[in-house]
Formats: sequence, C-alpha cells, structure tokens
Amino acid sequence: MKRQFKQTIWVFVTLISHYRRHPGQALTMALGLISGVALWAAVQLINDHARSSYAEADQLLGAEARYWIRSDNGLGVAVADYIGLRRAGFEQLYPVIETQVRDAQGRSVAIIATDLLALPVGNGIGSSARYSNPFGASSWLALIQADYQAWYPQSLASQLGIEPGQQLVLASGERLPPALIQTQTQQGQRVFMDIAAAMAILGTDTFSYLGVGRLSKLEHLRLAALLPATLKLVTNHQALDLAQVTESLHTHLTALGLLSFAVGLFIVFNAVRFSLLARQGTLTTLREMGISLGMLSIAIIAESLLWTLFGTSLGLVMGYALSQLLLPAMAMSLQSLYAAELGSLIGIQPEQVLLAFGLSLTGVVLALTLPLWLRARESIRRQRDTAAQWQQDQRGIRWLALVAMGLLGLAAVLYPWMASIEQGFLMLALLMFGGALLLPWLVLGLIKTCARLLPKHQWLLRWAVSDALAQLPHLRIALMALLLTLTANIGVTTLVGSFRTALGDWLETRLAADIYVQSESLDIEAIKQAAWLSGYSPRIGLDLRWQNRPTSIRGLDLTAPDTVDMVLVQDHGVLDHGGQNQQAQDQALQAWRAGDSPVIPILANEQVQYLAHTPLGSIIELPTPAGPRRFKIVGYVHDYGNSSLAFYLPGETVMAHWPAAELLGAGLWLSEPAAQIDPDWLSSRLSALGVKPGQWVLQGEIKRISFAIFDRTFAITATLNTLTLLVAGLSLLTALLAVHQQRLPEYAHWRSMGVNFSQWLQIAALPLLLMLAVTLLLALPLGFSLSWLLINKLNVIAFGWTMPLLWSWWPLAKLGILTLGIVLTTLTVSVVRVRQTLPTAIKQLAGDSG
Amino acid sequence: MGGLHAHSFLKIVLFLGLALPLQSLASEAYQLLRGDPAGYAAVVPGKALKFPEDHLPHPDYRIEWWYLTANLIDASGAHYDVHWTLFRQSMSPLADPGGWSSNQVWMAHAALSTPEGHVYQQQFARGGIGQAGVESTTSNKVPANPESTTATDSPNQFQAWLDNGMLKGQGSAPLPGQLSFTVEGFEVSLNLDVVTPWVLQGDAGYSRKSSLGQASYYYSQPHITITGQVTRNQHTTNLTGQGWLDREWSSQPLAPNQPGWDWLSVHLDDGHALMVYRLRQDDGEDWISGSWITPEGQATSLNKIDIVFEPIRHTTLKTGANSHHKLPLHWRVALPGLGRSWTVAPRSEDHWLNTAFPYWEGPVTLDGTTTGQGFLELTGYPESQ
Amino acid sequence: MLTFSAISKTYYQPDGDIQVLRQADLHLPAGQTAALLGESGCGKSTLLHLAAGLDQPDSGQIMIHDQCASDFSDRQWNHLRRETLSLVFQQYHLVPTLSVLDNLLLQARLANRLNPGLQQHLIDRLGLAPLLGRLPHQLSGGQQQRVAIGRVLMHQPRLILADEPTGNLDEATSHSVMELFTTLVKETGSSLLMVTHSQVMANYLDHQWLLQAGQITPVLARDT
Repeated sequence: MKRQFKQTIWVFVTLISHYRRHPGQALTMALGLISGVALWAAVQLINDHARSSYAEADQLLGAEARYWIRSDNGLGVAVADYIGLRRAGFEQLYPVIETQVRDAQGRSVAIIATDLLALPVGNGIGSSARYSNPFGASSWLALIQADYQAWYPQSLASQLGIEPGQQLVLASGERLPPALIQTQTQQGQRVFMDIAAAMAILGTDTFSYLGVGRLSKLEHLRLAALLPATLKLVTNHQALDLAQVTESLHTHLTALGLLSFAVGLFIVFNAVRFSLLARQGTLTTLREMGISLGMLSIAIIAESLLWTLFGTSLGLVMGYALSQLLLPAMAMSLQSLYAAELGSLIGIQPEQVLLAFGLSLTGVVLALTLPLWLRARESIRRQRDTAAQWQQDQRGIRWLALVAMGLLGLAAVLYPWMASIEQGFLMLALLMFGGALLLPWLVLGLIKTCARLLPKHQWLLRWAVSDALAQLPHLRIALMALLLTLTANIGVTTLVGSFRTALGDWLETRLAADIYVQSESLDIEAIKQAAWLSGYSPRIGLDLRWQNRPTSIRGLDLTAPDTVDMVLVQDHGVLDHGGQNQQAQDQALQAWRAGDSPVIPILANEQVQYLAHTPLGSIIELPTPAGPRRFKIVGYVHDYGNSSLAFYLPGETVMAHWPAAELLGAGLWLSEPAAQIDPDWLSSRLSALGVKPGQWVLQGEIKRISFAIFDRTFAITATLNTLTLLVAGLSLLTALLAVHQQRLPEYAHWRSMGVNFSQWLQIAALPLLLMLAVTLLLALPLGFSLSWLLINKLNVIAFGWTMPLLWSWWPLAKLGILTLGIVLTTLTVSVVRVRQTLPTAIKQLAGDSG
Repeated sequence: MGGLHAHSFLKIVLFLGLALPLQSLASEAYQLLRGDPAGYAAVVPGKALKFPEDHLPHPDYRIEWWYLTANLIDASGAHYDVHWTLFRQSMSPLADPGGWSSNQVWMAHAALSTPEGHVYQQQFARGGIGQAGVESTTSNKVPANPESTTATDSPNQFQAWLDNGMLKGQGSAPLPGQLSFTVEGFEVSLNLDVVTPWVLQGDAGYSRKSSLGQASYYYSQPHITITGQVTRNQHTTNLTGQGWLDREWSSQPLAPNQPGWDWLSVHLDDGHALMVYRLRQDDGEDWISGSWITPEGQATSLNKIDIVFEPIRHTTLKTGANSHHKLPLHWRVALPGLGRSWTVAPRSEDHWLNTAFPYWEGPVTLDGTTTGQGFLELTGYPESQ
Repeated sequence: MLTFSAISKTYYQPDGDIQVLRQADLHLPAGQTAALLGESGCGKSTLLHLAAGLDQPDSGQIMIHDQCASDFSDRQWNHLRRETLSLVFQQYHLVPTLSVLDNLLLQARLANRLNPGLQQHLIDRLGLAPLLGRLPHQLSGGQQQRVAIGRVLMHQPRLILADEPTGNLDEATSHSVMELFTTLVKETGSSLLMVTHSQVMANYLDHQWLLQAGQITPVLARDT
C-alpha cells in the first residue's frame, strides 16, 4: 500500500514535471481556468449582490420599510403629521426625502435623506447601538449639524468627479453639503445626507414619504385610523416587484457568464490536449514501465484537482475584482431602469464561494479529467502511432458533427414550445453549441473539397490547403471557442444596434413636446394663457396594482399634439407582435378617442401584452374606487425601458373612473424653436407657471439621458463580450504556438528539402485563414439566428418590448476586422517564434547522436 | 460596552470605512461626560436654583437629564420596577438656532422589570422639530414647534417627552404629574404624587464631582408616591409604590481621571431616603458623596468621611453574545455617624442596558439597621476579558 | 564531389569536451557512393551534419561540387541544399497530408526540376504506381522509405547524404530497399554518402570508410 502510494506520487511528479519545461502550457491552462472562472464569477457575484439588494428592498437605509406613508395630493408628508404619529407611539416611522436633482452640468443626481436619529434600526436596543452613538461619536455631529455632510459611494463620487470636501453645485444654484466618501446601508448610487440638509437645499418643508417598519395587526389598524385624510398607508411590494422585473436581466447576465465559463472550459480542453500531446511519450513510457491504468488515473485526477484549486481560487479573486469594476455601471442601470438600489460594496458570502468552487470544480474536473483519462486508456500500441490518431481525430470530428446535428435538431423540435426565458436560453445554447460542434466538420469538408478541386499544377496551394488537415486537430477547439464568442458578439451587437435604433425612433415620436414638466403645482390656466407656448399636453394618472404588478393608468389630452400623432405598435411582418396595419390602427385610435363603445377601448403598453399575457382585443378589468371596470384593449404602444404595466385613456375617462388621479406633469410646446431659447429666460417663465428649477427638462436632455442609460446598460454586455473575444484570441494564440512548437522538426525537414520562408508561410497561414473564413462565415448565420431569437423571442419574454431586427453590416465588419486583427497578430507572433527556433530545429534534424 | 455590541459596532465601522480608533469603546461613550467644557456654561457654586425655570432645559450646558426610578408592586406583591430617563445634549456651545437646525439632541431610556424579566429601549430624537423636548408654556422659551403646543392641555404645564414617552406635570413642575411610555409592548402609565419639597443636593444644588472642580447642578425628589398600571396585550396590572426623580445638568460632570460612577438611591422602611454615589478615580481616591433625607424631606449632605460605600463582591454578568462585565452588585453601605449600616443586594442580576452608554441599572433591596429598596446604577465598567 | 580537408569538431560539454573529428580528411568523387561506418556515438552523424551545412566545423575546409562551403552563409547553404544536396533519414519525413505522388514530387517541385521521364521511370522502378493516390500513413514502413528515396532521386541532387536510411526496416526489406536505392543512385548519376553501423548495408556501396578516434580511414575501395 505504502509502495503504491509512493509510486503514485512518483507518477504524479513525473507528469507534473512536464510544466517545468513547458511553462507556456501551464500558462495557457491557468489562463483558461482563471478567465473562465473569473468572468463567470464576476457575473454571478453581481447577480447575487443585486438579488440580495432586492431582498433588502423592504428596508431603507438600514431600517425596515414594510409600508410607506405617502400623501394623496402629491404635496408630501407634513412635519407636523409625522411628529404627531411619532408622539402617538409609532416609533417605527421615519421621514425620507428621495428625489432626483440636476447638477450645474445637467447631470441627474439621486438624493436620499432621512433623520438618522429617528431611524428605527431594528427593534430597540441591540440595534440602536449598531448605529454609533449620536450622544458620543463626533462623526454624527458633522452629518446632522450645519454645514452637514453629503455621503457619496466611491463609484458615484468618481462618476461625478467629486473629491472629499467638495460641494456639488445644483442647477438651482444650491450647493450640496461637503462631500464625504462614505456609504450608509442601502444607500445605493445616491447621495445620502441628513434630512435637515436636504430640506434646506431643496427648499421644501415636507417629506417625500415616511418609511414604516413592522406593524402588528392592531398597530396597523390604529395607524390607519390615525392617519390624516391626505395621507395613505401603502404596502411596500418593492422586494417582490424588483425580484420579478429584474429576473430577466439577471438571466441574461447569467447566460453571458456561463458563455464565458464555457469559453474558458474550451480553452482548458485545448490546454489539456496540448499538455497531453506533449506528454504522450511520457504517458506511454509509464504504461510500458508497468504503471497501472488506475495509478495513472489517480495521478491525473490529482493533477486536475491541483489545477482546479489553483485556477478557481485565482479566478474567484479576479472575478471579484472584475465585479467591483462592473458594479457601478450595473448599479446605475438598475437604478435608472428599475429604481433598484444596489449597495456599493459587494460582500462575498462563504456560500457563494462554495457554490463557485463547486460549479467550477465540476466543470473543470470534467474538462481536465475526461480527455486525460481517455488518452491514458488508449492502447499502448496506438499511442505511438500518430497516423492512427490523426485518423481517429477525423472520426471524432464526424462524431461531433452528428452530436451537433442532434443539438440543432433538438432546437428545431423544441422551438414551438419556447415560452420562458430559461427555455429561450436553452434554445440559444443548443444553437450556439450545435454550431460550434459542427464547425470542425465543415472545415474538414471544405479542406477536402478544396484539395480535390485545386488543379494539379497548383501543388503548393494544394499542399497548403491539405496542411489544414494537420493543423485542424490542434486548432479546432480554439476555433470553436472563437465561433462561440463571434456568434455571441454578432447576436448581441445586432440586438443592441436594433434596440438603439428602435429606442431612438420611439423617443422621436414619443417625445414630441419641447419641455417636460413634472410638478404637481402646475398652473394649467396660466399655461393656456402663456403666449410663449404653442401647445401643451397635461398628463394625469395614478398608480395601482393589476395582476399583482405595479401598473400605471395615464390620462392623455386628446387635443395635445403628441396624442393626435400617437402611433400604435406596427406590424413588423416577421412575427405576430400584435401589430396592426395602418387601417386597423386608425380605426382603433378613433374608437379609443371616441370612447363610446359599450366596453371602453383602452390602449396599453406592450408589456401588458407580453408580461401580463393579455392579447389584443382582450377585455380586462381594472380596479376603480367604484369597483372593477371593464375595458377592451384596442392597441399597444411601445414603452421601452418601462418595467411596469401601463394603460392609456383619454384624460376625462380617467378622471371619471379614478377621481383621485392627479396631475403628474405636462409636455409643453414652445412658440419658438427650443434651440433659440435662453435657459435663464425659460427658467423664469416656468417659475411663473409654478414650475421650480429641477422640475422641468428639455426634450433633448431626456433623449440624452435615455441613451446614456441605454449605453450604460449594455456596456457590461459589451465588456463581457470583448473580454471573451480576447480570451478566445489568446487561446488561438497559444494553440498556434503549441502547433508550431510541436511541428518544428517537420518544418526543419521541409527546410532541408528547400522549402523557403515564403512557401512555408503560405503553408502555415493559408489553412489558418481558411479555417477562420469558415468560422466567420458560420458565425454570420448563427449570429443572425441568435439576434433573431434575442430580439423576437427572449427580449419579448423578458422585457415585453418588441422591435424590428436591424441587420447592419458596419458593426459586423468592425467585428470581422477586429477578429482578423487578433488572428493576424497571433499568427505573426507564432511565425516570429518559428523563425527564432527553426535554426536550432534544423540542427537537431538528424537526431541527437553525436 | 458589550461584546456583541462592540463586535457589531466594529462591523459597522469597518463597513462605513470610518477610521475611528477602536480603543476602549466603552470609555469613548462616556467621554462626552468628560469632554472639554470650553464654550459651554460653567457650573459654579453659589447659584440659587429657581423653580419652575430650572425644571426646564439649560441648553447652555452640555448635558442634562430628567431621571425617574420607581419600585412598584402589583396587588399580589409582585415587584415591578421602572426606570425612565430623558437626556439632553448640546452638540455645540453656540446658541440653539432651533427648528431643523437645532443643536439639541435628545435620548430616552425606558426600562421595566416585571416578574417575567427586564425589558428596555433606547431612542434618539433631534431637538427643534417637536419630536422631543422639555417645555412649559409659562417659560419664556418659545416652543420649538408651534404644532406641539396643541399637545399641551393647559397653560403652566410642564412636559418632557420623546415620541410617546412623556413626563407631564400637573403644573409648571414635573411633579406631581404623570409618566407614560411604552417599552417593548408594555404600556406604562403612572400617577406621581409628592408632598415633600425638592431636595437640593450638595451645596444648595451645587454638587461637586471631583477635587478638580467638576460639578453639576443637582436636585431630587426622593419621596414620590406612585399609583398606576402597566398594560400588555390588553391585560392591565395595577401598581403602587415609591419613586425618585433626579434632575442634573452640567457641562463636564466627570473629571478626566474618573472612568465612571456607582450611584444608589433607596427608600428605607422607616420613611427615610438615602442617596450615595461614588465617582471612581484612577488614583483609587474615589469621590464619595450623598444625602440623608428624612420622611419630611429634610436633607443632610454627606461627605466622604460620613459614608461607607464599598462593594462586598463582584459578579460577572453575561452582557452580550460574547461579552461579560464584572460588576459590584453587592454592597455594604454605612453611615457611621448615624449608627446605621446595611447590605445591598440586587433584586435580579439581569439589568444590564446595552445602550449607547452601556450601564447596569436595577432595583436593589437593603437589609441591616432597617430594610428598604431602591435603585443601583453602575456605569463606566470595562468589558472583562 | 565532397571533400573534407583537416576537419576538426569538438563538442563542448559540462562533463568534458568531446572531440569527434580531429584533422579528418575525406574525398568522395562525383558519381560514387560511400559508406561511413563506425561505432554508435563516434561522430558519424556529425560528419553528415557538417556536410549538409547543419553544423559548422571548428577548423578545416569542406568542398562540395567544386565550391568551398566552409564560409557559406545560411542563405548559401539553403541554396545549396535546395539545388545540390538531398538528405535521407531513418525517419522518412513524408508530409502526412500529401499523397504519395505529391510527396514524391515535392522536392523536385521545390527545386523546379520536374522531369516526367525520370518521374515515370522512378515510379516504375520503386513499384509505387499502385500507391500514388494514397496518403503516407496508409503505407508500410518499406513503402514509405521507398517514397522518401524516390523523392530524393526525383530531385536529381548531385550529392545525397543518407543517415541510416534502413534503420527502421526489417532485414529483408532493408536489403531490397538498399539494392534499389544504390542502383537508382547509380542510374541518376548522383553521389551518395551514407552513414551506417551495418557492415552488410555498407557492402552495397563503392567505398567503405571507418570513423574512429576522430579520423577517417578507408577500409575498402571498390573500383566501379
């Protein structure tokens, strides 16, 4: 037993010693493992972090927020009402000011403020002490006493270019308190300050709302009874809602992370191949020396475990670092899209580390052990026979193609049943991996055909083409990884491009007014009188819950220019997206304006159709104060970026059914072109209408912000895609280096036969370019299918947004050029390496006998 | 400061990235009482206390409290002990701008011992917005929040409150009056009656705390007769007993070399009341003082030479998930000049308050020349290792 | 054809220098064949490497085809190898992705020296006609070596340098390959220097030289 153990150790050491002579291979293996695990872990960490942040959405700044107390009239909560409730014994109440302000440079800045002294952090004692001691600690004094402090998370401070001690100047001319780089629990990407400071800066004497902690049934009744008529107690559904609406986004990200992981595993497979190829002799010698297969397996498994531990640990560390880099953008996106606040610090939980280890261990051990074991099992005789392996490889390629056909066939069979986002990603995975597995077979076929078709006298060209057969076994995994990343890149690029165009077109029609005002204190009569305005479109509405989702009801002014020009979802001609042709649209809009049908016609955003699964023509029931009312959906409008359901009715209809509906704001049309308007003049005119600075925004500004949010949202995708492409490029480089290293004696012999450098270069490069061409050509249809699925299926399932697929060649050309650049770089590096080492190889040509 | 407490505090500190020195958090909490009094009004001898004005806040002074303890029993004789305190602090020596900019911070501690155990609660509030305060409509001080005057039922009425915890006088003085508060689901409501005069501690209310000159203004009402009730889950228990109110304000009550104090107030069964305290000094020369009060409310100030006030033994208490404190819960008290001596024992050891200023405050019984009961307060004890 | 004059070569190694050639002389006339015999590790292959320009002597002069090759640059050596020399190894070094025919023609094509008459002649003589469409791994060892030999002869080099060309073959095959090889060398008019440790194989050649203690001594000269 002891002897066997010793033997195993020796076998292990013998196998491992290989990497001392080939540090490059060790590097490749590490690179594959680390990058795969890192990219995956980064996404996983961000997702987990976001999810745990949502789970905290029933908390606010460290205090429980089971309910909100909000005002009915939009005027906010008066201080006296709050104090009255506190003195009535509701210590679980706390005041909050939460708002968006614009800074002097026009950037939107979110502010959250509370009274930390009154904040019920937990229940009673253990917790009050949690928050240092306002009676003792000096840190409190500066926060709650003039000049106060403004706490910025590091990422927000960097984004705004705020240094500690600096005061951010707002568009209103007010200054935020001196900055401190510090965060409060659940602060998110917002500036936190004392509520007294916020009230002074915003010039308000009311709170945005009150947060309410846990209430017993009795307390709930007592509180509801005590509330002044203008205030209402609202249950906080945010945690549930956020988890629901962001689920798709996280599934998207998870898929990207898994793709990166898969690419990483491809690289590991590749690295294992080379390390095996290089150690084939050693393995065979060991077998010939009578080392049993079992012992060899144990040594191989030990090596795998060692690699896995090393790669996964480093990968996790890198992944953590990467997640920290990606988090701010992600947090900003979630804030803008879903009003979800992410903490600015990612904490790694032990469970997460274990999960990451478990998952990557399984994957990596599989990737390492399987090929090693298969190779070790091969008969000794066959291991010495390269030609046989070469043949076996071609058989393997045919097998892969069969599997690929199976996967693609399965995708075709499953397609009609695709309904959930998970199934959608399964479809994508089948498609992408089917394509990837098919690639070597296609390359093989092309090579053979070319070799057959080339005329006899083109012997050098035929040689070059047929050399692809020798390169393919080494490069095929790298090529498959490249295909995967190219496909993902094309798919996502097309998605982003199509989406951006659709968003732009939509904003163009949706944002018709010159100025948008969000103010409850708007003086409609004064607006009607204002000569400098050519038109206005007031928006009234209220928020309610329908199908247990946050839903908004909006009332539009039928005479307003943007309502007159309203456009319904068009028929894209590809799929039935509830789109209507022009005639049907006109009829629907006419009926909606008239509103005199027995069942009132209503318009809805697309989300109602896809997220709430309510097809065109459905009769729906909406809750009104007078009980449920029936409406008929006669059309849909695009509503990109909205995660809530929305219904649109003529303003009067809304007022008739929901008397509590409030004026939310208005769109204003200027008499003169907006570009010629002096902002100060505009500001003073708007003030006269009851609009305070910060409550209005120019149309162009909204567009700019919208695109900023859009671009930030997809920045993380682009980053992951580019990183994956680079990793795939690196794997190609290492594969090429390994191929050439291994074939050096062959090249030396060619040289001795008189093959000159340019001839050699043709033979070495042509197959690579040929294979690359096949890869790129295959990536096009695969990428197209991917983007088609993403746009027409997954996006619809996930967000409820439809848009036409826009196939644009320029970004694809850029991607192609980038890929070509990467490949040519790797080729150049490997060629230079061959030129350096070839002379030595030629000297060793005739063997090592002195 | 308790172990759990310090531990979670540490987490918060690390989380917030504060570079606060973590050495001895407990002493840090009490540092307020030793802080530089520069800029604040000084406590000087010879100042005559004026009522009802001095029942109200003294914002020129850094720190101030209204401190009520009571030993009560229900109909069956089961003990209920109450402790309610309102603390005030000035965050700066400048004049209080009032409103949201107020530099006053309030803290309330409420604690209740029932036969089932000990519950307590700590709350903070900023001054100036009506959430907490001490005022009386007869004072020339303008109420911080106009709305809050609506809560005052009649003129000349004293009230001290934070949220729904309130000590309301029948007139311009806190006593006689009513105390009402809730703590962990218990609603406590007590009527406080007095017939004896206010007792001015020390030298006519000037109470020295150290040979270095630290002092406070200090007066008490030792003889409060209490009837009232505690309600929980709609179940009401009627209570009767005796209480003690302390009023004290200062800008620096503790000398730099005083880590804390031990304070005892008791009602003896013969009608006398006794207060003794010991300010522990690093040099071992503790500052001991007290007063002996007749049933009629006539007080005699006691100095170090008049008083024996020494621990009999120390008890190690679990004061948090991972923390312990070694505390002198058993004492010997003697007034050799009066020929009296007692031993003091806690009714229950479980009276640690893990608050921002962690301390032990609980009911005690006396045995000796006479029997009696009261409250013992132990502050500034470090966490034992 | 090939002349070595006072060639010395020492390998510097940590555990002592090895002088494999000391003032060695050798002369192979054009159109003649010679075997270089010697113990394993005596420096036979070194001599071959020097002749092929794969290694440089410490001193002495090498003449190939009336050219003094001692001072050749890499470029000149490449040209020489391409035009004048051919190497045959124990391993056949066939290009696995090329057919037998393409392998046969490879070196001639590289030197742009295709000769259809010779091509047909060699294919017939080597008996490779039925195998031309196959890939190297579909051939036996003897067949592969015949392809390697055919490739060299197709190139019509003036000098063939062979290193144990039959080292991988069984005895019977070795004899048939050797016989064919030497016959065809004679037919094409090339010179051949073959390194071998086998006296039997050496017997097929005109000259037999022995490399011993760094010196080359003729052991047999057969007049052709």
